[in-house]
Amino acid sequence: MATDIEQPEVEEEILDEPADVEPEDSKPEVETVEVEELAVEDEVAEAEQAGFEPDFEPDAAEETGELVSEESGGWFGRLRSGLKRSRESVVGQLNAAIAEFRDAGDEEFWERVEEILISSDVGVNTTAKLVAELEQEALEKNITSSDQLRKLMIEHAARMLEGPVELDISRKPTVVLMVGVNGTGKTTTIGKLVNYLPGEVMLAAGDTFRAAAIEQLQTWGERTGAPVVARQRGADAAAVAHEAVEAAQQQNADVLLVDTAGRLHTKINLMAELEKVRRVIERRIPDAPHEVLMTVDATTGQNGLRQVKMFAESVGVTGIILTKLDGTAKGGIALAIANETGIPIKMISVGEKVGDLHPFDAREFAEALFGDL
Amino acid sequence: MFETLGERLNTALDGVRGSGNLTEDQVKKVTREIRLALLEADVNYGVVKEFVSNVRERATGAEVSKALSPGQQVVKIVDEELANLMGGTAHKLTFASRPPTVVMLAGLNGHGKTTTAGKLALFVRKLGKSPYLIACDTYRPAAIDQLQQIGRELNVPVYTEGTEPTPEDIAERGLKAARDGGYDFVIVDTAGRQVLDADMMEELKRVRGRIKPHSVMLVLDVVTGQNAVEVAQAFQEYADFDGMVLTKLDGDARGGAALSVVKVTGRPVRFASEGEKMSEFDYFYPDRMAGRILGMGDVLTLIEKAEQQMDQQEAEQQGKKLMSGKLTFEDFLQQMQMIKKMGPLSSLLGMIPGLGKQLQGVEISDKQLGRVEAMITSMTAQERRNPKLLQNPSRTRRIARGSGMTQQDVKNLVKQFNEMQKMMKQMGKGGKGFPGMPGMPFR
Repeated sequence: MATDIEQPEVEEEILDEPADVEPEDSKPEVETVEVEELAVEDEVAEAEQAGFEPDFEPDAAEETGELVSEESGGWFGRLRSGLKRSRESVVGQLNAAIAEFRDAGDEEFWERVEEILISSDVGVNTTAKLVAELEQEALEKNITSSDQLRKLMIEHAARMLEGPVELDISRKPTVVLMVGVNGTGKTTTIGKLVNYLPGEVMLAAGDTFRAAAIEQLQTWGERTGAPVVARQRGADAAAVAHEAVEAAQQQNADVLLVDTAGRLHTKINLMAELEKVRRVIERRIPDAPHEVLMTVDATTGQNGLRQVKMFAESVGVTGIILTKLDGTAKGGIALAIANETGIPIKMISVGEKVGDLHPFDAREFAEALFGDL
Repeated sequence: MFETLGERLNTALDGVRGSGNLTEDQVKKVTREIRLALLEADVNYGVVKEFVSNVRERATGAEVSKALSPGQQVVKIVDEELANLMGGTAHKLTFASRPPTVVMLAGLNGHGKTTTAGKLALFVRKLGKSPYLIACDTYRPAAIDQLQQIGRELNVPVYTEGTEPTPEDIAERGLKAARDGGYDFVIVDTAGRQVLDADMMEELKRVRGRIKPHSVMLVLDVVTGQNAVEVAQAFQEYADFDGMVLTKLDGDARGGAALSVVKVTGRPVRFASEGEKMSEFDYFYPDRMAGRILGMGDVLTLIEKAEQQMDQQEAEQQGKKLMSGKLTFEDFLQQMQMIKKMGPLSSLLGMIPGLGKQLQGVEISDKQLGRVEAMITSMTAQERRNPKLLQNPSRTRRIARGSGMTQQDVKNLVKQFNEMQKMMKQMGKGGKGFPGMPGMPFR
């Protein structure tokens, strides 16, 4: 207990001096030099890492065969079938509730809708807003049939979710910085993005922290034929980014995808490191990174909102990629994110295959949430 | 972002104090707030409903004590109910009478199974066991590499057969290798999977059937949302797990999912995993999770950590001193040095009630602590004992010079110190200081 006490004190101390991480910023030149000197070492490191590779080759070959495969019905079909299997839960309940809808003045009905939305991880605030809008419009338009109501729900949800989904890849090279919390699927999404994006794509193994993260990206590089700029584990992620941007420029790559280590948004030091990666890229190409894409796990609850807010503050997220939508999660957090941050959901990832990455379609997503399945 | 439940309840019950029993209307207000707080913490909707009705029953007609505000009173009820649900005490590991003990890890993609495998290995080694890891994730690129690298770091052997054989074959042969090698604690890492992928879930069942582990643990990310219930039910069906490892607890997610899973499956959380370091792994203390879910901070852990560093008598003295508002800079310095021994400051701060919210986005480094220490050590013994002397500018100027800080820094320190004194005095009188901390045990 006694230890409780000084904390408020120290906390205020810091609030006075937020600039603690800045000094690093003042010596960019040193980093640059470092990069060139270490270039030789990299080759050695890469050669060493090659020792691990054989393990993955058979697997890689198998999966490459699936590069172009796509289940019938496309991603939407998969999403629907995924949701269908969990009918018992949210969607089924919602359908049942909507089917019973008769009167927009029925408070109990709206409470039920509220309940269902919250059960899809939409969150209390966004649910309240959505339900209030729906209730008002349903009353005004004197809606009495469940079909009309369903349409209205889809419309409202879609409007909330709508945003610019196109990736801006007009520059040469276009630099895309991939960020996100641990385990949300950054590296896997990068593998899928290589397949999805047109032109020559180059990868930067900026996750120098997690064990075997570099090897994971290199495996993706082999599967997709994209060159990977990598250093040994523990290297400065900003230096890797710098070197990769340079390589992308020299080799005329169309897109450079920069992987970064997963980090919790609460770790200020790690967030500062990410900001540094961004600054280093900016220094080399002033308007880069052209996209900062953040992966958010669709199974995430309300903390997802905080994740996005903190990453956006730190490195300016330009779009969200919603991952792991192939589970039981409805991805309702997407509504909360769109509503409360205004950052567009740009893509969704619905499966484990390399072709399972798709541009986000607000209407289809809303239909999958509320549609008659 | 979120108000703590304590704050919410105090607002809802503003003005009600020591007025006999809680009225029906008050209880209604209160249960509404509890419901929202739990939903925001990602507790499953169905679980919330049942839980709230229990609390309502207990709160209706509950006598309002004079020492606690009605809000605190209800928080106490909620806290007890939550602790009840989570199962009071820690579920410690049991070891097979005929070693090796075999533990299998299972879970969704990206929830931290492989990292947990490493952390668990280190944990049991500290308990005197010799761990052995088996890499059965033949799907994710470089997953085996990851486990091998972790094994090298920890100096724990890792059994691998690449990605060709089936996971059940690898597991079986790995187990044999562990037995032959005389290892007594085997950890089987499996691939992450989605519960709707029936083939993958069947595979898990096969692995389980083949090696018959003593324990199967579901590794669950603390950020998991409402679908935690469906996930847990599926893993219960296919892998029949007997406990959970809750991961990424160093983030700021409330972790209501843990509550849902415990409630629905009846399986306890056994381990808490936080942080990037392999050592940041411990038994899970269910009674403490309640505070986190409600945003009340983890008072108990903090108390225990403090107690480890401070003997009872000293603690008692300090406590009395604090509450009387007679704290000196000497005590302060002493405590600060104690805190340093307790571990990284940032992990401690999150445990303090009421601070959770203010601290979001603020990381406090031990460096800053060092600055405060420098300022205090630049004070004379007399000044430390009698902070009032520090109103004198020539003294603060001297201290600033001595510690390499500005005079303003020193003044701020003194000011904050005085405010803290006041706050502690208030707490000593049992005021409204910290919600949810009725009668903090100084023991």
